[in-house]
Amino acid sequence: MMTMLRRPLFWLILLLAGIFAWLPVRGNNVALREDLILVAVAIILTSNLNLMIGYTGYVNFGHIVFYGLGGYLGLYLATVRGWHLVISALVAGVLVSLVALLFGLGILRLRGAYFALATIGVLVAVQAFVANFEPWGRSTGMYVSFDSYAPLGGPRHALWTTYFLVIGVMALSLLLSLAIKSSKFGLGLFAIREDEDAAIVLGVNATVYKAIIYSVSAFLPAVAGALMFFKNGMIDPSIAFEYMLSLEGIVMLMLGGSGTVAGAALGAGLYERLRSYLLTSPRLSEFHLVIAGGLLLLVIRLAPGGLIGWLYRLIPHSREVVE
Amino acid sequence: MKRATLISFLLCTCLAVSCLAQQTITIGFTVSRTGALNVDSLEQYRGFELWRDTVNASGGIKAGGKGYKVQFASYDDESNTKRVQQLYTRMILEDKADFLFSPYSSSLTATAAIVTEQYEKIMLTTGAAEEKTYKLGNQHLFQMFAPASQYLTAALDALKAKDPKATVAFVYEDASFSVAVVTPAKTYAQQLGFNVVFTEAYAPNTTDFSALIDKVISSKATVLLGGGHYADGSTLARQLTGHKVPLKMITLLVAPDSPQWSELGDAAYGVIVPSQWEPQSTFKAEYGPSGADFGNAYTAKYNAPPSYESAGGYASGLILQRAIEQAGGIDTAKVTQALNATDITTFYGRTRFSTQPNEHGLQVGHTIFLAQWQKDKSSKLVKQVVWPLAGKSADLLYPIH
Repeated sequence: MMTMLRRPLFWLILLLAGIFAWLPVRGNNVALREDLILVAVAIILTSNLNLMIGYTGYVNFGHIVFYGLGGYLGLYLATVRGWHLVISALVAGVLVSLVALLFGLGILRLRGAYFALATIGVLVAVQAFVANFEPWGRSTGMYVSFDSYAPLGGPRHALWTTYFLVIGVMALSLLLSLAIKSSKFGLGLFAIREDEDAAIVLGVNATVYKAIIYSVSAFLPAVAGALMFFKNGMIDPSIAFEYMLSLEGIVMLMLGGSGTVAGAALGAGLYERLRSYLLTSPRLSEFHLVIAGGLLLLVIRLAPGGLIGWLYRLIPHSREVVE
Repeated sequence: MKRATLISFLLCTCLAVSCLAQQTITIGFTVSRTGALNVDSLEQYRGFELWRDTVNASGGIKAGGKGYKVQFASYDDESNTKRVQQLYTRMILEDKADFLFSPYSSSLTATAAIVTEQYEKIMLTTGAAEEKTYKLGNQHLFQMFAPASQYLTAALDALKAKDPKATVAFVYEDASFSVAVVTPAKTYAQQLGFNVVFTEAYAPNTTDFSALIDKVISSKATVLLGGGHYADGSTLARQLTGHKVPLKMITLLVAPDSPQWSELGDAAYGVIVPSQWEPQSTFKAEYGPSGADFGNAYTAKYNAPPSYESAGGYASGLILQRAIEQAGGIDTAKVTQALNATDITTFYGRTRFSTQPNEHGLQVGHTIFLAQWQKDKSSKLVKQVVWPLAGKSADLLYPIH
């Protein structure tokens, strides 16, 4: 813990969260809050995905399943059972992590493309299960009644509360990435990424390590899912388990630079702001997908290590500050 | 003298300008320009657009001695709920939208309503038939479509009149809208005394229905109700014809409403679709254009016949326009009051909103039509309105063969 405090990135993360929390409050700027909450969710999803892809070298195409399942559990506990939002979100996070641990022990014996395929399988299977699960409204999903916002002081207050909670989860996600990176456990993961067989020979229990990181990478996205779908007001299987969001997470990670804490945040933040800007720009909105796609191609072609890799090459000293 | 003339001329000009005091109202909404809902959402948008152009061409909405020109603030929601709240907040706070229309589809609308209700903004919803949204305590949400539960109950009423002893099968897409339609329809069928012999939901994107069709045949059902969207609905109809299933009536959701349906040939014949509006419907409009005028203006502008989504879009504009006129301005409380009191027939049919606290804004005036694909004198496939009997353009063809 003490070593964490000495790292500039630790303080940068806290500063970032502070700025996120302060900016929309100053001048009660709700429109900015709505922009920033999407950035925060993108950062949460990407930095947790980074634990699998960037740290361990396992591509997870079904990462969004944690977010969606967390959303379902959280919404169910908060609206049907009437639990407090924070407790519902935490319980949802723990339960989803347990489910991930079980799945992980099963599918993490697979490697490379087979593992990637299995993660798609998990996504499809969970979606099919939820779409037929009566207590969660099957395909029609669940809707949040306005009364459910009452314990948090009505919808207007509830949305602010949700915002601050999501910013908290964002900060925790980045701190978690940083903590794992500087731990012995993190070194084990990097060893698996570089050469799994060699890591096993050196005494790293690869299966357990992978299952743990798969489960850990599920916790905070599930909490974020519970908060976001509560704010969203409804959930159904097609929006909770949207395959595109999983892919976008991978794109954001590649854009920023996988394997680095700052890269995941940078990629997520930039990609999300770019998409938002293009979508609402009066001149460019008709072509927003084309432009976003073209820019991504350019970045990946010109800076294969992502933006953060490009920064390190440009200013070698920056690595010491950021890493 | 010259100066006096000049002054009086200037005064007159000022007076004339202030008499015509043109103000602008902004209506915000998102359109699914990309993504799965793109086709239906665009049709709805064209309805909004045609209404706006018609209103502005006639000098805007006239209320309380003022004229209000209509302008839109709209963005692409990518057929996804993710950005809906961001965009509706933006329209309310930055584009200063006075009123809102809903996105297309029930899930996007429910998400938008969380924001619009907080800011106490009126939102007319179209393309959002699911009832749950109106039972959450909203005070400023008004539904233009007849609710989802009515889609198949109309078909069951028509069947009851023709063949009360029919045996019924429900085969439907396992998706939000079709489940919301079929669940109450099944209960209603049992209430009417029909023998429901088979019920099964199929996965969205199903392309091979043979196993399901075999089950329908062995269940000895004489009537099939269900479907979902275009791709699965058209495939199901084609395979039912291919397997020569002896059905007396087939009613499918959404898909047969499209003009493309006639391209299915034999498989298209006799299929019934529940519809919010059809060009043949002959409502006597107490307000706004007649159905024929709307249809002609639409076809002239877009070179395509209007769908019920387009009609719903145009009608949302009309109902809002009438409420603003009656309220004498754009004050939200007064317009809400006017909408609560609305009970009017336009080219789109009757519109009346529930004012019960537990279902405020739910549509209770509009009813569902049944349209059936029949052959005209030259054996060309055309869609005819067969239900309700009062508005029919042809008799219901039963049994199909």
